[in-house]
Amino acid sequence: MFKNYLKIAWRNLLNSKGFSFINIAGLAIGMTAAMLIGIWIQHELSFDRFHKQIKDLYIVYNKSIFDGELHCWPSTPPALGPVLKQEYPDIKYSARITYVDKHLFDYNGKKLEAEGFDAEENFLKMFTFPLIAGNMATALSSPYKIVITEDFAKKMFGTTENVVGKIIKFDNQYNLTISGVLQKLPSNTRFQTDYITPWLFYRVQYNGDDQNWGNNSYRTYVQLNSGANLKKVNAKIINTTIKHSNGNEDNQIFLHPFGDYYLYNTFKNGVPSGGRADVVKLFTFIAGFILLIACINFMNLSTARSEKRAKEVGIRKSIGALKLSLVGQFLIESVIVSFIAGVIALILTRITLPYFNELVSLDLSLPLLKPSFILAWLVFVLATGLLAGCYPALYLSSFKPVQVLKGTFVSVNAVVTPRKLLVITQFTFAVVMIVSTIVIRKQIQYAQDRDSGYNKNNLIYTYFNGEIHKNQNLIKQDLINSGVAEAVSITSGSFVSSSANSWGLNWVGKPEGAKIVFDQMATQGDFAKVLNVKVVKGRDIDPQLYPTDSTACLLNESAAKIINAKNPIGQIIDKDFIKWHVVGVIKDFIWGSPYDPIQPMLVMGPAQKWSNVVNIRLKANQPLSAAMPKIEAIFKKYNPAFPFTPLFVDKDYEVKFSEQQRTAKLAGTFALLTIIISCLGLFGLAAYMAASRTKEIGVRKVLGASVLNITALLSKDFLKLVIAAIIIASPIAWYAMQNWLQKYTYRIEIEWWIFAISGIGAIMIALVTVCFQSVKAAIANPVKSLRSE
Amino acid sequence: MIKITNLEKFYRTEEVETVALNKLNLEINTGEFVAIMGPSGCGKSTLLNILGLLDDPDGGSYLFNGTEVAHFNERKRADLRKHNIGFVFQSFNLIDELTVFENVELPLIYTGVSTAERKTRVEEVLTKMQIMHRRNHYPQQLSGGQQQRVAIARAVVNKPKLILADEPTGNLDSSNGNEVMELLTDLNEQGTTIIMVTHSEHDARYSHRIVRLLDGHTVMENIMM
Ligand SMILES: Nc1ncnc2c1ncn2[C@@H]1O[C@H](COP(=O)(O)OP(=O)(O)OP(=O)(O)O)[C@@H](O)[C@H]1O
Ligand SMILES: [Mg+2]
Repeated sequence: MFKNYLKIAWRNLLNSKGFSFINIAGLAIGMTAAMLIGIWIQHELSFDRFHKQIKDLYIVYNKSIFDGELHCWPSTPPALGPVLKQEYPDIKYSARITYVDKHLFDYNGKKLEAEGFDAEENFLKMFTFPLIAGNMATALSSPYKIVITEDFAKKMFGTTENVVGKIIKFDNQYNLTISGVLQKLPSNTRFQTDYITPWLFYRVQYNGDDQNWGNNSYRTYVQLNSGANLKKVNAKIINTTIKHSNGNEDNQIFLHPFGDYYLYNTFKNGVPSGGRADVVKLFTFIAGFILLIACINFMNLSTARSEKRAKEVGIRKSIGALKLSLVGQFLIESVIVSFIAGVIALILTRITLPYFNELVSLDLSLPLLKPSFILAWLVFVLATGLLAGCYPALYLSSFKPVQVLKGTFVSVNAVVTPRKLLVITQFTFAVVMIVSTIVIRKQIQYAQDRDSGYNKNNLIYTYFNGEIHKNQNLIKQDLINSGVAEAVSITSGSFVSSSANSWGLNWVGKPEGAKIVFDQMATQGDFAKVLNVKVVKGRDIDPQLYPTDSTACLLNESAAKIINAKNPIGQIIDKDFIKWHVVGVIKDFIWGSPYDPIQPMLVMGPAQKWSNVVNIRLKANQPLSAAMPKIEAIFKKYNPAFPFTPLFVDKDYEVKFSEQQRTAKLAGTFALLTIIISCLGLFGLAAYMAASRTKEIGVRKVLGASVLNITALLSKDFLKLVIAAIIIASPIAWYAMQNWLQKYTYRIEIEWWIFAISGIGAIMIALVTVCFQSVKAAIANPVKSLRSE
Repeated sequence: MIKITNLEKFYRTEEVETVALNKLNLEINTGEFVAIMGPSGCGKSTLLNILGLLDDPDGGSYLFNGTEVAHFNERKRADLRKHNIGFVFQSFNLIDELTVFENVELPLIYTGVSTAERKTRVEEVLTKMQIMHRRNHYPQQLSGGQQQRVAIARAVVNKPKLILADEPTGNLDSSNGNEVMELLTDLNEQGTTIIMVTHSEHDARYSHRIVRLLDGHTVMENIMM
């Protein structure tokens, strides 16, 4: 029986190659998209869930109320970890780690920059990062040790053999002994690093202060005893920081499961509210829809051609076949088609994966030989076959032999109601995707066109390392004297990424008890000059001209408004035990997200010794190729051990848009795929319709209809469907995009023309697809088609 | 073998109700060869479809071998059909994607006959229908007469007790038509009951008895022998 089904299925595929091609191609494209997204989803879902003790691992969060809203964030003070472990027996281990930082390594003159963090000993016990060499228990137990990854070892030594015990120089200053080699880190962990140094080493570097409760710059991880109750633990630990800081700090704390940390990283009023999980859901939805659209092609074409199979159904039934066995037969056929499409999709996935990786900035691979992958693929193929086949199977198998065996059975029209609905579904989705793509692109354009408030061109910067700190004034002087730089300013952070804020500002007239958050930067002077930002009132900070400028500060316009709209100059702002006097007000400039309103900002003078970045305003009208070697030479002179790494503000500013640009690219790709698949289906339907109406067309032509008349007649039905789809899609797209835009304070309005353009686009594409078939049918010689009767 | 009493069948369309069979009574014995004749639209095909359990009546009774089958469900009908009844149609109704051999084999597959036995039985009946040399051809490659012989082969391969033929010679020229009639006569002589709808007085002469329908009601029966 099964063999018989296979035979029929195979011969049917071969007999109608055109339809088979459309069916298989459509399904293969849809399945490829679904598989790519599937691989990505698998990556997201498995993110940091591979740790053996994952069930008991937690990250410590702070929570506090600002501006009337409860905020949660996962950075904690350094004193917290050990206290938690000491005071609460439910906590088995705790581990503090620092942020990832870049440092210079030197082994016998071979220099490499690498990124890593400091972690307490227990880190390696809690998280599953096996060592391929070295002793895990002692790898981080004393200050001058370092654990490096396989990749780093290969880069530095060309091998991972006999690496343990070697000594490398850290930032040209400390000798660290390699105590272990980490097995290559998987891509689905957040601890992407080249090396790990002991927490004790961090203490050595920064003179041992890891006991304070106010500096929330560390991550604290804990492992509970298995079986501990999270709710009870959270209730016990909630006030740890408040208690130990004697009320100086008011952040409450709680534990968030580490397994959820990646996907549920957004909190609304203290409750996890998605985050990446929403993106995963959205993508699952999109993948499902693209697959459905491909399946719809199969459904439409199979049922449109039903009279070809109707006779067979009638015969089989008259011989004694049951409906059920016919349903089975047709399902087997659709599974065969989906199997063929699935194999092609595997190949396509393999080919397109590198492009997809670029799109999502990941390094995903196709685990072709992994049994779990093969199993998932089989289930996927089966499910697709059943999804695509169920409607045709039910439809075809319900033909009554009495109707179809008379030999006169013809399905009158290719465009009957269920098929109409399916085509409308396809185009609705296509139009939604087109509208979304346009809206996202408009939004990015809008934010890119927003005035940043300063001149991003000819502005470069580099981070402090080695001797830069010591020689900062000499470097600055040399840069100016050499004639390449118009101005140089040392700051606490870069101009392109918002890196610090604080509510610890006080001034006369500040509302009692208000927590008003200010962006904060520090500079050694020439802030406005380097930035080329307009000084609206007063002047720039310039300690050379004004010795008292050590405690001078600048405000941006938003800050000036908050402090004193009328005359901010001369106002005193109390911050970090220093009384800063305002010397100038600068125009608001974009420091953080270009989609957000600009925050009030305080720029503190040289008394605040946070120096991390050298910013250089290049003289215009000099070629970069001439300027850069001069600058590099100056840095080499004062900081010979370290490579000079210049960064460009205009280039880094663009990074602010990269996530949205990626979304736009993805939306565009999905829109394109949807359109291709839908049009394939439309093309097939139109071909079928033209074929089944040849006789009618012949008669009409004999009676005097023109080619145009007939083309219009044949295309009309399809156009109606596309128009219906546009009408349904518009409010859906509007709603979805309105929702998406809510994330951005600085956003576009969705205008009517976006829908008009998308609609006209969809109509044009559909028209071209259908007209090809309609015209072909219309120009056929009527004598031929009528004789075939 | 068959006894129908007051059998009724209506076709309702939006505007009109057609009475296709109007309180029809008919009895057919095992081994008979009956021809059903009548003007176009008088209900012959309708009657045959009901007799073959492809369609159900709107009223009356249908006894098949003494069992009331008028209201059998789909499963029971399919079961009865595949073991007892063979169909021959005017338009042959062979499956285009299957070869001669595979077409004839199909009923045996549905009754669950083993592969080896299927082969012997199909070859036996193809030989009998003198179409064995064409066993690997597809229907489109055969003449009308040959196709109808394949259709008959398929109808009889399961050794049904009853064969229902709706204008089996309707699409054939007279010599091919005669050949088909000879085949049916042979089958009848070997004990198969045959009910055949025809417009041809010539073909009707092969039967034992002619039932004449007029507007869904028997008007006359001629006994041929
Ligand atoms: N599916 C149907 N819907 C409506 N009316 C039908 C249907 N099938 C048959 N009829 C009507 O029922 C009556 C009997 O039809 P039937 O096909 O049995 O006639 P017939 O005797 O076989 O005619 P012919 O010799 O032309 O084949 C006719 O009036 C026909 O129009
Ligand atoms: Mg008839």
